[in-house]
Amino acid sequence: MAQAARSMENLTPKENLPTAAASVVGISKFFGKTSVLQNISFDVAEGEALVLLGASGSGKTTILRIIAGLEQPYTGKIMIHGKDVTELPARERGVGVIFQSYALFPKMTVEKNIGYGLRIRKRKRKEIKKTVQELLSLVQLEEHRKKYPSQLSGGQQQRVAIARTLAYDPEVLLFDEPFGALDAQTRTRLRREIRELLKKVNVPAIFITHDQEEALELGDRIAVINVGHIEQIGTPAEVYNNPATEYVATFLGAANILEGIARKDHVEFGGAKIAAKIDAEKFSDGQPVKLIFRPEDVSLGLTQDPASGQSYFASGIVEETSFVGAYERLRIRLDPTGGSSGESGDTPFYLTTETPESQTAKPIIATRPKPETMAVRLRRGDRVFIGLTSFTLLPQNPPTAN
Amino acid sequence: MLRETMSSMIPTMRHVRGFDVARPLSIGMLVLMMLPLVFLPLASIFLFGTSQGLTSFMASLTAPEAVFALKLSLATSFWATVFNVIFGLFAAYVLSRYNFWGRNALIVTISLPTAIPTAVAGFALLLLWGPYGVLGRFLEPHGIQTMFTAGAIILANIFVTFPLAFGVIKPVFDTMSRSLEEASATIGATRVQTFWHVTLPSLRGAIVSGALLTFARAVGEFGSTILVSGNLAGRTQTAPLYIFAKFNEGQIEAANAIAIVLALFSFLIFSVLFFARDWLDVD
Amino acid sequence: MRKRSVNQAALIVVTLIGFALIPAACLPQPTADKGGLNITVYGFSILKESLERSVYPSFAAKWKREHGVNVHFTSSFAGSETITNQILQGVGAEIAILSIERDVSRLKEKGFVTSDWRSLPNKGILNKTPFVILVRAGNPKGIQDFPDLAKPGVRLIHPDPVSSGGAQWSVLAIYGSELVKSEKESGEPNKARALQTLRSIWRNVISTPGSAREARTQFETGFGDALVTYELEGLLMKETGKTPLEIVIPKATIFSEHPAVVIDRNVSAAKRPVVDAFMQYLWGEEAQQAFVKYHYRSGLDPKLDEANQSLARIETEFTIGYFGGWAKAYPEIIEGVFRDQVQRK
Repeated sequence: MAQAARSMENLTPKENLPTAAASVVGISKFFGKTSVLQNISFDVAEGEALVLLGASGSGKTTILRIIAGLEQPYTGKIMIHGKDVTELPARERGVGVIFQSYALFPKMTVEKNIGYGLRIRKRKRKEIKKTVQELLSLVQLEEHRKKYPSQLSGGQQQRVAIARTLAYDPEVLLFDEPFGALDAQTRTRLRREIRELLKKVNVPAIFITHDQEEALELGDRIAVINVGHIEQIGTPAEVYNNPATEYVATFLGAANILEGIARKDHVEFGGAKIAAKIDAEKFSDGQPVKLIFRPEDVSLGLTQDPASGQSYFASGIVEETSFVGAYERLRIRLDPTGGSSGESGDTPFYLTTETPESQTAKPIIATRPKPETMAVRLRRGDRVFIGLTSFTLLPQNPPTAN
Repeated sequence: MLRETMSSMIPTMRHVRGFDVARPLSIGMLVLMMLPLVFLPLASIFLFGTSQGLTSFMASLTAPEAVFALKLSLATSFWATVFNVIFGLFAAYVLSRYNFWGRNALIVTISLPTAIPTAVAGFALLLLWGPYGVLGRFLEPHGIQTMFTAGAIILANIFVTFPLAFGVIKPVFDTMSRSLEEASATIGATRVQTFWHVTLPSLRGAIVSGALLTFARAVGEFGSTILVSGNLAGRTQTAPLYIFAKFNEGQIEAANAIAIVLALFSFLIFSVLFFARDWLDVD
Repeated sequence: MRKRSVNQAALIVVTLIGFALIPAACLPQPTADKGGLNITVYGFSILKESLERSVYPSFAAKWKREHGVNVHFTSSFAGSETITNQILQGVGAEIAILSIERDVSRLKEKGFVTSDWRSLPNKGILNKTPFVILVRAGNPKGIQDFPDLAKPGVRLIHPDPVSSGGAQWSVLAIYGSELVKSEKESGEPNKARALQTLRSIWRNVISTPGSAREARTQFETGFGDALVTYELEGLLMKETGKTPLEIVIPKATIFSEHPAVVIDRNVSAAKRPVVDAFMQYLWGEEAQQAFVKYHYRSGLDPKLDEANQSLARIETEFTIGYFGGWAKAYPEIIEGVFRDQVQRK
């Protein structure tokens, strides 16, 4: 209907971006006999911030280390501004790495740390002084220039680490879990600071993180990494709204998943059906599919009259409502006629409700913003009609992961 | 009555009006225990060494063989220290950076000389380099003699102080984050630059204290030196050997004069070690 | 700011230490290496004074006079067995003066001594001295002869026969003394009595230092009631006057005989003349007089001994010859009696 299974704009490929600042081409890597990376490829455009998002052990740090030259790939190559650097040692690659621990040199002052890259390049003293001065003011650490790293806060240390890499005009910046060591408040503030800084200096950056919120906020694009391969790469909106895989859907935020059958112009879930434009090339008639939608994409009504641009496809009973600050969260058990399953990334509680209905129906999670909460009050036991403003269809048991 | 007051007094004894009795008591105990074990033996060296008057003391100090013995001790210890610090650095680097088969065996072997009696160390060197030794027998026909020279003293010093610098430097290497060196590499530094600008400064304190420990230990070495040096006064006699020889000859004042120098020397070294280490470790 | 000044202080400290070490880095010049010839002599422990104060300087003066070349001596003094072992390990001694002949045999066996040392004057024996007992002033333990050392409560210092030649002489002195006395009394040496005396005396030994000189130093620092040693040690101690003591002359005692040998293996052809000249000089009148001055008895001419009034008259004296020479005495008495029957009991 109004919201298609895949909006066209999100499918627009990125090839029309300016030339890649850095490219990773078909990288694979083994540690011993275990494969840790399989055929990883992506580009970073000039001035772009790309986030590699994945759980710990997904291989994202290894990708970063391979780009930096601290590890060697088994196959594939690394291109930086069109030059193949795969065989070059780390020191000749011109990349700037901001380590998780910042790796500031403890016996050097802030000034000395920042000027290190220039000193070892045997630049003139005057030039070093000037550059260091500029960078100090850029990262607003002028008054701390004589301090040692141990005398700085985490955020200040991070700025020193960034300035230290900027001193030698890196071709690309690599951030390894840059906020891992900081408290939640500082994190949010520093994220904004770094984004501003990056826009100012216009150096392409690759972040790695396991924090989806961080990824969404920092990245121009996000690559979701799962056990050594890229599940999906795209803008935050793409990855969030149109997850290419179930893993991406559940890793980035909460998601409801229902199993159904694809038909010509709709999808069937038990007795219910929802209208959808089915891409004939992707789904054949009668193919089992998964319907994936976010809790905030669920619209609830007390009557079957659809609100504008929505269609109700099922009904259910409110089992629980909870207030979580900015919005209200509801757990709704679909009527037994509904779809066959439901699951959510962060809500395991359905396991605990052993009512007779639970044998045939699974709960879904919905969230509603405050105004809507005020307009239509819902309580436990209320019968509601459920519509979706947006959803994604995926084949069950996808033939390939990517 | 008396017993009652006594027993009720005991708990209050520990704190007399906010004054912690345990503190001066334990400090006093410590000093008291050290008195017969360390202080008095040292004091008697000073008393004995100067008992014949200052002129006799100075004469003992400036005797050519005494001066030679002190110089020889310093020189041989110096070279043993130079070698062991460089070796210790290298060994610590290899053994904390690479994991390989037999690594633990190497670590244990390096630490072994601490537990080996120094006389055994000297004996072992003789068995290796002596005219009938495993290697010595091949050098002997070429007129190359390692034993009973200053070189032999250096070899003995190296052997007995082998683990000291390594033992101080390795833990620092172990705790040093790899990412410092990696950061330096990505910034563009060569291995040498990284070692010089990043690794070495972090090891500064460990290197200095390792060197001082090695040096102090080598200057005082006796058991192995007496076996390998030949103990020729004015030629291969180190300060501890000189002290022993003078004591055996019954010239206790002469022995004590040099003993005082060595005692003051180690006092100096350990003071430097104690005070400079904090400065050196500043970060 | 504070950190910076601290760092500078550290830098200064390190630099100072560095500078202090520069002179230390240079190996010192051997004190004797100021041009001229050098002779390396290893001697048993008690030789130090006579050689260093008298024999070396007068030979050096003589050689300078006759040849115009400076001669220096470097020497090391320790127990006879110890220096022999050092020479066997390769120490560069050119001349060895030993307490016991057995050590010469050991050097000969290994090829360190190749010349016929017996062809030297007085069959290679440089000097001799009787074995005596040193006791504290006033002789509080009432010691008159060797058997008195076995009295309960006497604490005896006796060097270790493993490293010291003097200690072996001492064992032979005690054992032989009993044999000689019993032979005098009954016409037959009483081996059982000699063994018994030696055994009881050894129960009173409280310390076995490595050399005769070490034993003397221990005695001088106040340990023990008695010390069996070379007569000359007692006389030297009396001269210094630091330790009040008395010398007890046993009824019968041994004369230790000290050989001097050239370690042929270590002597270069160039140095051979001066080394040989020094050996000849050792048996010459000048050197022999010097030894007598330091309380040895001459190996050459008993008349020289008259110059030293402090040398005691020995009632009954015997030598290693009484046991049939070192070749017999060492296995039979030092090993067979002392090691196997005294020490292991």
